[in-house]
Amino acid sequence: MTLVHNWHLGRRMEYPYFESRPKRQFAAVFNINRCIACQTCTMACKSAWTYNKGQEHMWWNNVETKPYGGYPQSWDIKTLKLIDNGENTWYTDEKDEKLSPYGVYEGDTIFEAAAKKNINQWAVGYIPEDKEWRSPNIGEDVAKSNKADEYSSLPEHSRWFFYIQRLCNHCTYPGCLAACPRKAIYKRKEDGIVLIDQKRCRGYRKCVEQCPYKKPMFRGLTRVSEKCIACYPRVEGRDPITKGRPMETRCMAACVGQIRLQGFLDDNPKNPVTWLIKHDKLALPLYPQFGTEPNIYYIPPRWAPRPYLRQMFGPGVDEAIDKFMVPSRERLAVMSLFRMAQAIIFEYKIEEGPKVFETMIHGKKFELYNDTVIGFGEDGQEILRTTIEEPIHIRDPKHYNSI
Amino acid sequence: MNKRFSLFKVLSIPLLGAVFLSATLFAAEEPAPGVKGMSDEEFTPTKEVLEVKYVQMDKPYHMDVESLKGSFNDAKPVNITLQKQDKAFPNGGGSVTSSEVKAVHDGITVYFQITWKDPTRNARTIAVQEFRDAVALMFPLGAVEITPAEHFSPRMGDREKPTNLWHWKADWEADLLVKGELEDVEVQYPNMHDDFNFNPYSAYYHRELITSVEVLSGGRAANNLLSQPGRGRTVEDLNAEGFGTLTTQDHQDVNGCSHYEDGVWTVIMYRSLITQDPHDVQLVPGGNTFFNMAIWNGGEQDRNGQKNISTQWHPATLEKVAWQ
Repeated sequence: MTLVHNWHLGRRMEYPYFESRPKRQFAAVFNINRCIACQTCTMACKSAWTYNKGQEHMWWNNVETKPYGGYPQSWDIKTLKLIDNGENTWYTDEKDEKLSPYGVYEGDTIFEAAAKKNINQWAVGYIPEDKEWRSPNIGEDVAKSNKADEYSSLPEHSRWFFYIQRLCNHCTYPGCLAACPRKAIYKRKEDGIVLIDQKRCRGYRKCVEQCPYKKPMFRGLTRVSEKCIACYPRVEGRDPITKGRPMETRCMAACVGQIRLQGFLDDNPKNPVTWLIKHDKLALPLYPQFGTEPNIYYIPPRWAPRPYLRQMFGPGVDEAIDKFMVPSRERLAVMSLFRMAQAIIFEYKIEEGPKVFETMIHGKKFELYNDTVIGFGEDGQEILRTTIEEPIHIRDPKHYNSI
Repeated sequence: MNKRFSLFKVLSIPLLGAVFLSATLFAAEEPAPGVKGMSDEEFTPTKEVLEVKYVQMDKPYHMDVESLKGSFNDAKPVNITLQKQDKAFPNGGGSVTSSEVKAVHDGITVYFQITWKDPTRNARTIAVQEFRDAVALMFPLGAVEITPAEHFSPRMGDREKPTNLWHWKADWEADLLVKGELEDVEVQYPNMHDDFNFNPYSAYYHRELITSVEVLSGGRAANNLLSQPGRGRTVEDLNAEGFGTLTTQDHQDVNGCSHYEDGVWTVIMYRSLITQDPHDVQLVPGGNTFFNMAIWNGGEQDRNGQKNISTQWHPATLEKVAWQ
């Protein structure tokens, strides 16, 4: 075991392999506040990669309702129980911008829990039985009610649920990669995408057991395991539509509610995904306490109870929700980039515009400027150009009654 | 006197460093993470020798355990003690504690018969939580001397010390019996509905979908032997050079048959004594070799390192062919 630095946990932790971050890491930001669970992302992935024999139960991308849903059923509850040692605390007094932006987590990661329990495995985990992979929509839209006869209130609803959209997080320290005794899982150096080598896999299902997010899945027909491949041909730029430019994955591009932005996490603060995650900290990782450093980040839902959200996204939740409720000028501009193009945006630029609106939100002043936001591709070419306010067209009087 | 003292002062630090360095190098035979070190006993082969008897036999029309049973009458059985695998992650096994092996050859083919007790018969790995029963024999590739002085790990071989493994699988046996020689998902879930089954249109209408199975089955398209239909055999031929290096051979040479009754598995693995494959162990009548064994109990979720192993090499000698 070597010591690697996990910036989500704000400390070093044990991992079987040396720290080796890719030059740019496949990452995405999801805005939970806008998801309507239309499942278009789920079907986009399904119809591209998992529609075949033996993959009927596989949903590499899925959207589940919290608190009662989960695919596979109760995956997060079961894994959280396995790492629970009674001391899962975040120490948030001392934060470091780069090394521990959320504070320090003093509980056990899945790797540390396995070492403590002496189970002679790389990480704690369990294999969900086939019946747990059924009914991916279980618990959909089922609300958790604290009081039977209260109306919803703000900011936290007493009757609540929200959707969480999940795919393989292409973690920096994947549980699946650590678990495989044959090194059949590898993380690519060029973009950090984690893949299962289909020739090398022998269907041991250690990855299925030890991924805390349960995204590697066993395929009965071929007797080997498969997982989300991050649509790597598109991310490499081999789809003819974008003419050689890296393109966002199927699930990201298909999002009807425009909640997803996929890009690469790198060192450029003008990279929208990097800015949202590292600089603005508006987007938070999913269950960072597992210790795998997942690379899909979420803007938490503003109406759900904070303790539940803090367990799910870490201690940065309160700040993130405050920032989302009253967005700054730059934040609003970056959020406007979501789903405006299929090609991956590597850099953005804001051209300032006139102030068009002003109000108070929850006691804070909010000003709306109609800025123009420009997104650039890898080669510096302009990919998209949009404004904060949607342009309004007024129809000719003779078309008033047209549809 | 002073000069010598000052020289000593100058040299003392590097001298001390050299002492510590050599001490560390001597002590540091550190195994990789997740792997524990091994004792001298493991590098000593067992005393009991498996004698591969020469018998004259008519190769039966059907190669099955029943027909071959008679050929093993003169072979002396060797008892192999098995224990849980506890050196390399993931640890596991321990449910099968012994097995019996007999071997014969007829100058052309060698037959190894292995029997062991297993209360459950696990011959399918289609559901995610089901694992197969399996047994494997491991031979060192080439002629070797195995003593505590000449380390040859009885666990998956070592770097630069390759081994040849014959891995029989219960589900490969079941695969041979179905049309297409690969059990499809329907045998596990007989009433399942999917685009391939529940449609009123003809196969021709769905031809692109049906032919896509070949291309979009990752394992099949990557030529992973585990995913292929039509393997025509129940034993896999592999090589290994240490933990995590197990690799299927390009050319498969071993076959086998099995029988399960009353909680006892009987597996016969057979192969030509000499093969053309340089990655195969060559067995010569009159010569000797070593072998080791591992057994997987699917009912206990045994797979990969979670297996029941013997921790020492077992010597084997092949009887010379008696020319009539």
